[in-house]
Amino acid sequence: MAHAPGVPAPASAPLHGQSPDLHWGDRVHLLPGERVVATCRFDLDAALRFTDGWIVLTDRRLIADPPAYSAAGVGAAAPRIWDLTATDRLDVHLRTAVGRIELSRDDAVIARWLFTPARAAAVHAVEDAFDARIHGSSAKANQPAESAGGGSVEPAALTVSRHDDDEDAEPGDAASRSWRALARVVPFARPHLAMTLLGIALSLASTAAALVPPYLTMPLIDDVLVPRQSGQPVPFWWVWWYLGLLLLAAVAAWLLAWAQSWTLAWVSERVAADLRVRVYAHMQSLSLDFFSGRRTGDLMSRVATDTERLNVFLSVSLVEFVSNVLMAVFTIAVLFWINPTVAMLTVVPFPLVVFVVAVVRDRMRRGFSRVSVVSADMQSVLADTIPGIRVVKAFAQEAREVERFAAANERVLDAGDRLNAVWSFFSPFVGFCTEIGVLIVWAAGAMLVFRDAVTVGGLTAFLAYITRFYGRVESLVRMVPSTQRAAAAAERIFEILDTKATVAEAPRPIRPGRVRGRIEVSGVHFRYGAREILHGIDLVIEPGEMIGLVGTSGSGKSTLANLICRFYDPSSGSIRVDGHDLRDLSITDYRRNLGCVLQEPFLFFGSVADNIAYGRPDAGRDEIVEAARAAGAHDFILALPAAYDSRVGERGGSLSGGERQRLSIARALLVEPRILVLDEATSSVDVETEAVIQAAIDRLVLGRTTIAIAHRLSTLRRANRLVVLDAGSIVETGTHDELLAADGVYARLYRAQLRAAEEAAATV
Amino acid sequence: MTTPRAHATTARSAGGWSLERRDDGRLDFVDAQGRRHENVDVLRAFPVSAPEGPVAIVADSGGELAWLDALAGVEPPLRSLLEAELAARELVPVIERIDSVSDSEPAEWCVVTDHGPRAFKVRHADDIARRDDGSATVTDTVGMRYVIPDVAKLGTQGRRLFEKMV
Repeated sequence: MAHAPGVPAPASAPLHGQSPDLHWGDRVHLLPGERVVATCRFDLDAALRFTDGWIVLTDRRLIADPPAYSAAGVGAAAPRIWDLTATDRLDVHLRTAVGRIELSRDDAVIARWLFTPARAAAVHAVEDAFDARIHGSSAKANQPAESAGGGSVEPAALTVSRHDDDEDAEPGDAASRSWRALARVVPFARPHLAMTLLGIALSLASTAAALVPPYLTMPLIDDVLVPRQSGQPVPFWWVWWYLGLLLLAAVAAWLLAWAQSWTLAWVSERVAADLRVRVYAHMQSLSLDFFSGRRTGDLMSRVATDTERLNVFLSVSLVEFVSNVLMAVFTIAVLFWINPTVAMLTVVPFPLVVFVVAVVRDRMRRGFSRVSVVSADMQSVLADTIPGIRVVKAFAQEAREVERFAAANERVLDAGDRLNAVWSFFSPFVGFCTEIGVLIVWAAGAMLVFRDAVTVGGLTAFLAYITRFYGRVESLVRMVPSTQRAAAAAERIFEILDTKATVAEAPRPIRPGRVRGRIEVSGVHFRYGAREILHGIDLVIEPGEMIGLVGTSGSGKSTLANLICRFYDPSSGSIRVDGHDLRDLSITDYRRNLGCVLQEPFLFFGSVADNIAYGRPDAGRDEIVEAARAAGAHDFILALPAAYDSRVGERGGSLSGGERQRLSIARALLVEPRILVLDEATSSVDVETEAVIQAAIDRLVLGRTTIAIAHRLSTLRRANRLVVLDAGSIVETGTHDELLAADGVYARLYRAQLRAAEEAAATV
Repeated sequence: MTTPRAHATTARSAGGWSLERRDDGRLDFVDAQGRRHENVDVLRAFPVSAPEGPVAIVADSGGELAWLDALAGVEPPLRSLLEAELAARELVPVIERIDSVSDSEPAEWCVVTDHGPRAFKVRHADDIARRDDGSATVTDTVGMRYVIPDVAKLGTQGRRLFEKMV
């Protein structure tokens, strides 16, 4: 319910301006025959305080409450009414968070209300209704539908899969490989050596402390309880004495275990964190061909999920593992020290357990590997379809994608089931074996007691130790799945760390600083897998020249551009820049001289300013604005809700294709590259935007050596030279006019493209 | 009938252009050649990362009319006019108290700000930006920004509700 300023709100008024209904009926009396055309709410008063007001537009009048600002000052407590005349205008102005509704008569504003974007929809509806009423025009025509973004074919996406024939097989079988992978994690603890040693020392101490109590039960039984039972007089306080010692030992064991656990967990978390960063950093250093052969989901799974599995193993299971191993070893040592014969009997079932563990471990390792792989597959489905959701929806393939995901999910389920089948047999079997072990000890021990070779106390202590020993063994056995899972994860992680970049930095790279931009391509062949894409390319590009690469798809244009960017190295031949072979130059220094404008501009999740400055994070604000102006992006950026600080989504979701293109151009401009690679979008934008983008590109190519994979007719005409590729070889070069006159491959392509453009224009 | 407009305030700039705030509250821009642009807007180019930085004057149709690198260097009469206009057009409420946050998606927040009580919807955690100095900015589904100067000072309940969202 609206209430005028100065009037205390009725008790039933909701907080936060949420009232759902517009109860203006009892405050306004409609004239006979008057009809309500539209209503809206506004939520700011003249002092920019949140309020709740409404505007009612009828076919004769405009009624508002509270009256808000008008030329005459703050209104009275009753709703204000304006009888509308033909010359009245209602303007709505919304650019920032404060919107204005202005009623003007004879070009003078007579009333104004303020609102936030939350009320925008209804306000615009009132504005449209007002226009329709006064001018008889229909609602504002919609903006021309945004043309679909161009296909996002990455320049480097070659569909031929790599041949594995030259991959070296790592020595050793799969099992030892994964254990070795786990062992390779150990050096990561070196930076934390002191804490690690402390952890180990605490482990030894806490294990020793835990071994004391059973030893103390021996004298308690043999020297106190048994004699008492047989009638000898024994002072009771001996019991307290032994119990006191037992309690002390228990407390010591507890405190030491606590310290051990904390210390080792501390080290493990840090090791895992270091590993995560190392994996990601190494991945960043790898060349493009590593990524083009992989699925995003798989890589993400390795950096995120596999490192997490390893992390959990290290900080939780490892501590347990260490304690169990130590305890088992120490216990056996003590057993042998007490009575070697019975100790020997104790360990009889042990070899059987070890054998079964070995068999099962192998199955489990394979099982875990398979689970890892199918889980990564499942994640790949997500990584494919979620970023590309637009394509999924455009082609109405949602059901099929769900099926695909469900199938991958089934495979995960299946792999899990197989693993569990092995495990559900194994674990109880080990329990059974240990029971047998204990039985054997009872039997042997009883025989020895009958022969007076062992006291009851001794036997009791023995049994306590045995139980502990097998308890630890069982615990270790229970840990096999998590160790295997961690080993499999470690293997996948080290697979990345072991990959070397194919585009390798030279041992003593030349640092070219700013290059002049003279490019010489000599006899370059490029093979990818089994296919040869480029068959001997020779080309010289002078500094500042603009070259247009033309040809049908698959002719090698993108590949040549990629080679010049040194995303790949040629299979034979060389590419020189300013006389230096690319392979001798420092990769980062050379790339700093490059600017790229790709077909499908990729915008990171960040502000507009951050995206423009991506290639030069230290750029000043004025440089960013300068680049945006030159790219023709400045005006639309100012129109965004937070101007340069507005956040853009993963794929620049809230911006149109033309706007993303211009941001991409601004990004390239800011870097001031000496060599520019321009992969033109094949999609079309409206004529006005096209002109702006063309002007931006003109500014961009000025004075820079430019390699443009050209589609625009204007680019083709502007280029100093056109290079026509066909099936990996250069077939023609020359200017646009020369090539047309020569009436060869280019002329054919050009005429075909013209025809297609004309047909497209004709069907609009 | 045309009435001569009463110019409530006029301020000239060093660049030869001037801004005029009319009686009815609208802002006009007169460029160095004397051309008048009506109903212009004043806005900050970097409202979040550099509020004391560049200011743009933009025409009703969207084109940029003037650019000032910073308000600091602007002569007083123009500067106070610009600052007054910016204050009237910008609205970044400061959240003083969070009363409730719903569990739905988008979550509905009910808060009390320095401009009064307010309810708005937030899409997801990505729309909440936390900074090292303990402040946070929340952007709602229609693009409005709300600022929390110090999350720690929100009070126990408010802090709990905030952390739930993040």
